[in-house]
Amino acid sequence: MKKQSKEKKYMPEISQKEVQELRKTITTTSQQIITENIKKMKKTDPNRPKAMKYFDEIADFTKREKEIRAAKQEGKKVIGYMCLFAPIELILAADAIPVRVNSGWYDASKLGDRIVPVEVCPMVRSTIGAKMIALSPYLELSDTLISVLTCDGMTKLGEILSDFKPVWTMTIPRVKDTEQSLRLWSEEIKTIKGQIEELTGNKIRGKQLKSAIELTQKATKAFRRLQELRKGPPVIMGRDAMLVNQTYMWDDIERWTEKTEALCDELEERVSQKNWACPPDTPRVMLTGTPMIWPDNWKVPTLVEEANPQGILVADELCSSERLLFDPVGVDEWSMSDMLNAIAERYLMASTCPCFTSEDGNEDRINWLLNKIEEWDIQGVIYYVIRGCMLYAMEYIRVKKVMDSKGVPVYYLDTEYTREDVGQMKTRIEAFLEMLSARIDL
Amino acid sequence: MITAGLDLGTQSVKAVVIENGKVVSRSKAFSGFDPEKAAEKALDKALKDANLSMSDVGHITATGSGMDMATNSNSTVSMMGADAKAGIHLFPNARTIIDVGAEEARAVKCDENGIMMDFVVNERCAAGAGAFIEAMARALEVELEDMGPLSLKAERASSINASCVIFGESDVVSLIHKQESKPEIARAIFEAMADRVSSMVHRLGVNPDVVLVGGVARDIGFVTSLKRKLGVDILIPEYPEYVGAFGAALVAAKRLKKVQEK
Repeated sequence: MKKQSKEKKYMPEISQKEVQELRKTITTTSQQIITENIKKMKKTDPNRPKAMKYFDEIADFTKREKEIRAAKQEGKKVIGYMCLFAPIELILAADAIPVRVNSGWYDASKLGDRIVPVEVCPMVRSTIGAKMIALSPYLELSDTLISVLTCDGMTKLGEILSDFKPVWTMTIPRVKDTEQSLRLWSEEIKTIKGQIEELTGNKIRGKQLKSAIELTQKATKAFRRLQELRKGPPVIMGRDAMLVNQTYMWDDIERWTEKTEALCDELEERVSQKNWACPPDTPRVMLTGTPMIWPDNWKVPTLVEEANPQGILVADELCSSERLLFDPVGVDEWSMSDMLNAIAERYLMASTCPCFTSEDGNEDRINWLLNKIEEWDIQGVIYYVIRGCMLYAMEYIRVKKVMDSKGVPVYYLDTEYTREDVGQMKTRIEAFLEMLSARIDL
Repeated sequence: MITAGLDLGTQSVKAVVIENGKVVSRSKAFSGFDPEKAAEKALDKALKDANLSMSDVGHITATGSGMDMATNSNSTVSMMGADAKAGIHLFPNARTIIDVGAEEARAVKCDENGIMMDFVVNERCAAGAGAFIEAMARALEVELEDMGPLSLKAERASSINASCVIFGESDVVSLIHKQESKPEIARAIFEAMADRVSSMVHRLGVNPDVVLVGGVARDIGFVTSLKRKLGVDILIPEYPEYVGAFGAALVAAKRLKKVQEK
C-alpha cells in the first residue's frame, strides 16, 4: 500500500479558535434538534411504543460515543464508511467496530462550501464541514475510512477526507450483472479483508467470519420483522421505524437486534389489540431518493407525518433506512471462499443505488419500488432529491413513468441542507397528501 | 349558503365571498408585514361590499403560502387543490391549470371532478413568476403594465437566461449596453419566463383545455409567449388573480355542506 502523504491536498488552515467556536455552536444546535425531533415524534404518536426509548437514547450520540471510546481504549479499531457497500461482516469478524459517517448536519454543509462549490451534494459538503470542526463523533473515532467509489460526490469525498485519515478505496463496477464485474468486486472484497486484518492485527478466520455473518443475518431478520409489521394498518409511525433502521449505522449490532425484536414483540401485541399509531385510513406514503441522515435532515419525514392532512410513511427505498438491511448474506457452505463470495454478492447484487446501470437501466430499483407498492399498499411516493444529487435526479423520469403506469402518484421534492425552505416544502407535501386523501375519498 | 375563500399570497391577500357557487364580492389587500391583518382587511371589505357580516358566512377556507396565518378561517386547502377546484368550476373541460403568481408558478393536472391528479411547482426561484417581470421592468425603466404591450411590438426576441432573477437582470443590462430595442428585450423577458413555465408544464403533460390563472395571466406579453411555447390555446378567466380564493370558497362550501348533512 502506498503511503499517504502528510501534506493536505484540500483542507485549508482554520484557526483553532474558529474551529472550537463553530463546533460549540453547531453541537449545541444539534443537541437541540435531536431533542426537538424526538419531542415531535412523541407528539405525533402520544402512545408511542415503549421500546422506542432505547432508540431515542442511541439517537443521542453521546451514549454510543462513550462506548466506542471505551472500546478503543481497550485496543479495538473503528472503521468508518460512507456507502453501504463496505462489508460490515469482515469488520466485525476482525473484532473492529463499523460506523457510518455521513453527515446529516445542515450547518456543517455551509463550512464545506469553503472547499467545494455549492453545486456539490450537500451531504458531501456537510461531511467535509463536519470533519473540519470535528463535529461527528463517529467520523472522529474512525481509525480509517472505507470509501466506495459510487457517485461522483462520494468518490471525491473520500479523497478530501484522506487529508485527515487513512482512506481505503473500493472500486465498484457500474454494471452489476457481468462476470467481470463480480470478479473485480470479489477482488476488492479480498483486498479490503487484508487491509482490515493488517489494521486490527486480527486474522479473519472462518469461525469469526461465520459468527459475524450470523450476527448480521439475525439483525436482518429483526429488521424484516419490523418492516413486515408496517404492511398492515399503521402500528408504528414511519419516523420511529426510520430511526430504528438508522441507528443500526452506529449501534452495537447484537444489542440493536435484541432491542428491535423487543420492539416488534410490543408492536405485535398492539396489532392484536388494534391499537394503531394513527387512523388506518391515513394515506400511506413511501420515500425514495437521496439518503436522509439523522439528526438534522429529518425534515421530510417530519413534514409528512405532521402535515394537515396527515400522511404515514410505511416504507422507503433509502440507503439510510430500509436498504441498510433488507437483504441477508446468503451462505450455502461455510467455507472461507464461499463466505467471501456470498458477501461480495450480497453487497453488489442487492443494491438499488442509481450509480448502477445495465441494459435495462437500474431495473432492480424499479422492481424494489413496485414490490413495495404492491405489498405495503403504497398510495403515494415522494421522490426526494437534494440539490447536486445528479444520479437520483436523473432517474426520476423513469420512476415517474413506471408509477404513472401503475396509477400511483409520485411527487418530486427537491431541497437542500437548510431549514429555510420548510415552509415551501410544507405547502408541497400538504398538496400532495391532500391529493392522496381526495383519491381515497373517491 | 354563503362561504368565503382567502388566498394569502406572497404579495397580496385575496378574499372571495360566494353564495351557491356564484361570486357575490371580491377584494384584495397587500400582504405586507402582517398577512393576518391583511386577510382580515380583505375579508371585511368583501363582506361590506356585499352587505354581509361575519355571522352570515358559514365556513371560511384559506389557501396560499400564508394560509396558516389566517386566524379567521375554519380550514385550509392547498393552492393546487384550490386551483383545480375553481379551474374546473369555471371551465368544465379544463385538465391543466397553470397558476403564475408573484413569486411562484405551478401547474395542476385534474380530472373531470376537479380532483387534483398531479402537480408541479417551480424550483425555488422566482424567475418563472411575476416578480421577474417587475424586476425586469425596473431595469428597462418601463411601467409594469406597459411591459406586455411593449413586447408585442417586437418582431423578434433578444436572448436572455431566466434561470434567476438576479442573473436575468444582468443579462438585460448587457442587452441595454448592446443597444437592443426595448420591445425586443421585453419580449425576450416573456419568452424566457414562458420557457420556464412551459417546460414545467411539459413535465406534467399538456392536456387541453389549458387554463391560466394568477395575477400574471393579466399580462398580455406573457400570455402571448406562453401560447407560442405550449402550442395550444389558453383559457383565462375574467378575474385570474382571484381564482385561488374562489377555489377556496368552493372548498368551504363543500365542507359546510358535508357538516350540514351530518
